[in-house]
Amino acid sequence: MEALGYFMTPWLDLKLLFLVAAGTFAGVYVGAIPGLSVTMAVSILIGFTFTWDVYPALCLMVGIFMGGVYGGSRTAILLNIPGAPSAIATAMDGYPLAQKGLAGEAIGLSTVMSFVGGLIGIIVLAVAAPTVSDFALTFQPRDFMLLAVLGILLVGSLSGESLVKGIFAGAMGLLIGTVGMDPLTAEERFTFGYTQLWGGISFIAVMIGMFGVSEALAQLHHIEKAAVKQTISRIVPTWSAVRKYLPLSLQTSSIGVIIGALPGTGGDIAALMAYDHAKRVTKNPETPFGQGAREGLVAPETANNAAVGGAFIPMLTLGIPGDAVTAIMIGALYIHGLNPGPMLMIDQPQMFWFITGALALANIFMLIFGLTGIRIFTKIVEMPRTVLIPLILLLSIVGAYAVNNSITDVYWMLGFGVLGYFMKSYGFQLGPVILGVILSRLLDENWRRAIISEQGSLAGLFKGILTSPLSLVLFAMVVMIFVSQTPLWTAFRRKIGLEKIEHDHGAPGSGA
Amino acid sequence: MHDKIHRSAGELAFYAVLFIFSLVLLWSAYGISGFESLSSPGALPMAVALAMVISSGLILLDSCRNAERDSTRFFRDILPPVIIVMMLFITGYALLLVPLGFLPTSLLFLVVSILYLRRGGIVFALTVSAGALIAIYIVFRLIFTVLMPSGIVPEAEILAAFGRMFGGAQ
Repeated sequence: MEALGYFMTPWLDLKLLFLVAAGTFAGVYVGAIPGLSVTMAVSILIGFTFTWDVYPALCLMVGIFMGGVYGGSRTAILLNIPGAPSAIATAMDGYPLAQKGLAGEAIGLSTVMSFVGGLIGIIVLAVAAPTVSDFALTFQPRDFMLLAVLGILLVGSLSGESLVKGIFAGAMGLLIGTVGMDPLTAEERFTFGYTQLWGGISFIAVMIGMFGVSEALAQLHHIEKAAVKQTISRIVPTWSAVRKYLPLSLQTSSIGVIIGALPGTGGDIAALMAYDHAKRVTKNPETPFGQGAREGLVAPETANNAAVGGAFIPMLTLGIPGDAVTAIMIGALYIHGLNPGPMLMIDQPQMFWFITGALALANIFMLIFGLTGIRIFTKIVEMPRTVLIPLILLLSIVGAYAVNNSITDVYWMLGFGVLGYFMKSYGFQLGPVILGVILSRLLDENWRRAIISEQGSLAGLFKGILTSPLSLVLFAMVVMIFVSQTPLWTAFRRKIGLEKIEHDHGAPGSGA
Repeated sequence: MHDKIHRSAGELAFYAVLFIFSLVLLWSAYGISGFESLSSPGALPMAVALAMVISSGLILLDSCRNAERDSTRFFRDILPPVIIVMMLFITGYALLLVPLGFLPTSLLFLVVSILYLRRGGIVFALTVSAGALIAIYIVFRLIFTVLMPSGIVPEAEILAAFGRMFGGAQ
C-alpha cells in the first residue's frame, strides 16, 4: 500500500504532474527533430536541473526519456529519418505508409502501440525489479566488477563497427572517471600537478561535449538538407485496427522488455529484433514488409517503448546502465545524491516507486501528445538546421557552465566535443565513453574490494570467480565477447561447418 | 580479420595521436603508485590505460596494414570550413562569456552563426536570435534559475526593477 502511495506521488502533485507532462511533450519534439537526440537533451538538462530537488528533476527527465523514444518514430515515418536510433526499424514500413498518404494512420497506430509497449515495460519493471534487487544483494564485489566490464563491452561490441574501438572508447571513459583525488586514499590521479583537476572532470561536461557539441558539429555536414513538408489528416486509429495488432504487440513487447533489461542492449536492438520477429510470424501481411506493412510498424514501436521499462531494471537494481541514455540517467541520480543499485530498494524504496509512477504517467502523456497537436508538430520539425545548430551549441555551453558555475567545465566540454566529433567521424561509438565515465567509480571500488577480500591475491580472485555460479556465468560472457572477435572464433566457425560460406577468398571477410 | 577496409583522410594521424596519448596516460598511471599492489589507487588507471594503449595500437596497426585510402579529403569531408568556423565561434563564445556576460555574448553568437550558416538575411538573424534568446532566458534563467555571468549587463538591477514595477519581491 505504501508503494502505491509513492507510485501515485507524481500523479497527485500538480507541480510534478505538470513537469512530467512538460518533459514528455519536450521529449516527443526533441526525439522528432532530426539533429536533436534524447541523449543530448537529457545530458544538457542535467546541467539545468542540478539545483532542483530530486523529485521534480526526475519527473522532467523521465518524461523526456519516454517521450523521446516515441518521438523518434515521427520523423522516421514522415521523413524517413529516424529521430533516434530506436526508430530505425520504424522507418522501414512507416515511411512507405507516409508515401502512400497514410502518414496520419501510421502515426496514430505507432502512438497507441508505443503506449501499449510502454505500459507492459513498466508493469514488468514494477514486478521484476524488487526480485532482481533481492537477488542482487547476494552479489559479491567481483560480480559487480564483472557486470560493469560486461556492460561496457556489450555496448562497445553491439553498437559499433568494431569491438577494439568500443574497448578503446570504454577504457577512455573509465580513465576519465578516475581523474582527480582517489576517493579512498586521496592520492592524485592524472592531475598533472593542476589543483583544478583534484575534483576530477565533471562528467556532465564530458556528456554534453560528446552528445551535444559533437553531434551538432556532425550535423553541420547536412546543413543544406531541406525539411520535407507533409500534410496529415486523422491520426486517432480505429479500435478494430488496434485490436487486430494487439496480439503481435504483446509478443514484441516481451522482446522489448527482455532486450531492454540486458546490459548493453537498448531500444534500437529491441526494435530491430521485434521487426524481425514480426516478419517471421506474420504469414500473410496485407502489404508486404518494407512497402508499408502495418505489422512492421507496430512491432518496433511496441518493442522500443517496452525496452524503456526493461532498461530501468538493471539501472535501478544493479546500478548498471544499459546504454548511453540510461548511463546519463544514472549520472543524474548520482548528482541528486541517490545511489542506484541493490541498496536503493532497501534504503529508498520510495524512489523506485516514484520513478515507476512517473514513467507510467509519462506513458499516458505520450499517448495524449502523440494523438494531438500534429499541426504544431509539423511546424516545429520544419525548423531549419541553420537556426537549430547554433541553439544546440548555445544550450550546451549554458548547460555545462550551470553545474558548477565554472568556465573550466565549458572548456572541458568543448574539448570533449571536438574529440567526440573526430571519434565519431572515424567510426568510434561515444556510448561506451559515457558508460565508462559512469561506471568508473563502481568498477574501481568493487575491484579493490574484491582483491582486498582475497588478501591481494589474483589467484584467490579467480578461484572465487570459478567457484561461484553467478561469477562464472558473467566471466564466461566477458570471455565470449573477446573470443567472438578474434581470428580463433572465425577458425572455430570454419571448423564446425561454416567454412563454405567463408570459403570465397575473393569476397570481403567476416569483418569485426 | 579485415581483408580490405577504407581509411579516410586524417584517420591514420588521429589513431597515431590516440596511441601516443594513451602511452602518456599509461606512463602517468604508472606514476600514481607503480606496481605497489593490486588494490592500489593506480591499479585500475594502469589497467585501463593499458587497455587504451593495446586497443589504439591494434586500431593503428590494422589501419596501417590493411586499409586502403579512400577518396575523402580532410578539409572537405572530415573538417570542412563550416565546422572549423563554428568551432572558432563557440570557442570565442566561451572566451567572451565571463567578461562580456551571458546576454550580449549569446546574442552575438546566435546572430553571427545564423548569418554565417544562412549566408545573409540580417533581419531574420536578428529576429530569430532575439526571440530565441528571450525564450532561453525566461526558461533557464527565470524558471530553472540557472545563474549565468552577467558581465556588462546590470542584470540583477534590471530584474529587481521589474520586480518592483509589478509589486513582487525579488
